[in-house]
Amino acid sequence: MKITEALRIVQATVADAPPFKVTVACGFTPLHLRTFLNAHLQLALPHRNVTVTEGLYGDLCGTLERALDGDALAVVIEWPDLDARLDFRNAGKWDRETSSGVVEHANLVLSRIRTALVRMPQERPIALSLPSLPLPPIFPTPGWQWSDTELLLKGTLLHFAAELARDGSVRVISVERLAQDSPWDTRFDLKSDLKAGLPYTVKHAERVAALLAKALVPPAPKKGVISDLDDTLWKGIAGEIGPENVQWDLAGDAQLHGLYQKVLGSLSEHGTLVAVASKNDPAVVAKAFERPDIILRPEQVFPIEAGWNAKSGSVKRILETWNIAADSVIFVDDSPMELAEVAAQHPGIECLLFPKDDPVAALELLKLLRDQCGKDRVSSDDTLRLASIRQGAAFRQQIDDGSAPENFLMQAEAAITFDFGAAAEPRVLELVNKTNQFNLNGRRFTPADWHKESSSDNALVGAVLYEDKFGPLGTIAVVKAHFKAERLLVDTWVMSCRAFSRRIEHQTLRTLFETAGVDEIEFAFEPTAKNGPLQEFFSTFLSETPRAAFRLTRPQFEEHCPSLYHETREMKKAEAHG
Amino acid sequence: MDDIRTRLTECFQIVFPDLSDAQIPSASQQTVEGWDSVATITLINVIEEQFGVEMDLDHVAELDTFEKVCAYLQQRCQPA
Repeated sequence: MKITEALRIVQATVADAPPFKVTVACGFTPLHLRTFLNAHLQLALPHRNVTVTEGLYGDLCGTLERALDGDALAVVIEWPDLDARLDFRNAGKWDRETSSGVVEHANLVLSRIRTALVRMPQERPIALSLPSLPLPPIFPTPGWQWSDTELLLKGTLLHFAAELARDGSVRVISVERLAQDSPWDTRFDLKSDLKAGLPYTVKHAERVAALLAKALVPPAPKKGVISDLDDTLWKGIAGEIGPENVQWDLAGDAQLHGLYQKVLGSLSEHGTLVAVASKNDPAVVAKAFERPDIILRPEQVFPIEAGWNAKSGSVKRILETWNIAADSVIFVDDSPMELAEVAAQHPGIECLLFPKDDPVAALELLKLLRDQCGKDRVSSDDTLRLASIRQGAAFRQQIDDGSAPENFLMQAEAAITFDFGAAAEPRVLELVNKTNQFNLNGRRFTPADWHKESSSDNALVGAVLYEDKFGPLGTIAVVKAHFKAERLLVDTWVMSCRAFSRRIEHQTLRTLFETAGVDEIEFAFEPTAKNGPLQEFFSTFLSETPRAAFRLTRPQFEEHCPSLYHETREMKKAEAHG
Repeated sequence: MDDIRTRLTECFQIVFPDLSDAQIPSASQQTVEGWDSVATITLINVIEEQFGVEMDLDHVAELDTFEKVCAYLQQRCQPA
């Protein structure tokens, strides 16, 4: 992004959009950094009016200590913030005492920064950029050798960052990614620093701002990866050479495939769905997955679609099983033709070539998979996701096999917990912000907005947890409402597509009527391109598809509500989470 | 020469969006609210991007009116 483009983006902001206030805390003049951060965040939040404010020059700690309000905080540390003697603009001497004293002083400053950061409201995202400019030649060793003091200084800094990153409250910008995006020799402008206190080149300011914006408002991760098998997950054509002879290790000159399996296995462990779409004999595929040395274990993959029809058909069935849209999924294959066929049938799906003979490109693919699917925190629901998809498939299989849905639901031993004290749980906001199909209006929240609305006195926020004899689904729905005269006004209601067909939405409505003690509920409904399932649900009560906000009375609900067989439990605010 | 004036006017519009087209030719640090040293640096960077030139920070303090910037660019952009 160029400065001209950034200024145009910032100026095009809709003034009456809800504000999104960001503080950039740094010790230098963040002129371009501020403009670029504003522009990148504005692109990430097109329906907000992003404003970025800065603190006083040379007072990073003071800015942090005063920055108690706002929606997000970007902290950009440079060496002079840790000790003024590390400032090229400083007039002090570089003697022996200086070089040994900087670590001690840096420790004091970092401690003050840490204290300020841990006091920040939990719901406010914080991004931290560690020093990215060269140290002045203050240390006694020649430039090609690190002195012990310099190593101690860097070690102190990394230890400080690791502590902050540990609980996920501070997102630390990757030094390696920044090095890739902003080469070392194009970062620092000494002349500009000396004349105007602007040490960052325009290009470096743009790259730092881009990463800070991504850390503050991360793009939604992809939910699943669908992979080909032959010459992708492993080297060789299993149907030709036999499943016992396909390879994924160094000995077989197939380590790239092994690395790919490792990444898929790791993504699966962190809640990303992994499936297979392969033109293959299912029995051969099953044999390959039985091999004890396979890295991506069969229990980490579901479903496996092996057959001889078009790959797009396999992808379609996988998407139906997962119940997610194509634009949330990556498809990986070594054949450009297969990728094109799938892309043509599933607009929005991200198709990536597995470069089986190109280690450099393969490494880029592995990094891209991490970028697209990575998360900074793994929730308990992430670890349950694959099991619950399998559970859902078993559930549907029983119905397809002829069990009457009514009998089946009656015997499912389903239990629903309505947790009215879980508004602050990260999974709750995550579900609200990523659910599309059963979503009342498509509204998304920043952590600060969510906290503000859900903690108000008249707010009622319920997280819905489900389990049945097939296993737990975890937290699968969230409803947020507030009281308005004699009515309850529901402004947010989402339910994971994994939970469809179990009448959880009916039980949720009944619980809302009963818990709130109201005879009428108003829904802040808005149609979106994707919330058809929710529209269909409400049309059974309203006798027509809703087009705007509407009210539902208790008699209307009871008249059309089918039999419900769940055992229910409510956790009130005080009871929940101790 | 007209081309330089037109492109420079666009630069001023980007950095000082409150100025009308008519006000830009007579713009100066004295008359434009918000044209401070920080805005000068932004203006210089925008001009550098738009004209593909590098401007020396030693001289930017002298470029305090639209006409002076225009004259500077006309000199810099003259064919050798």
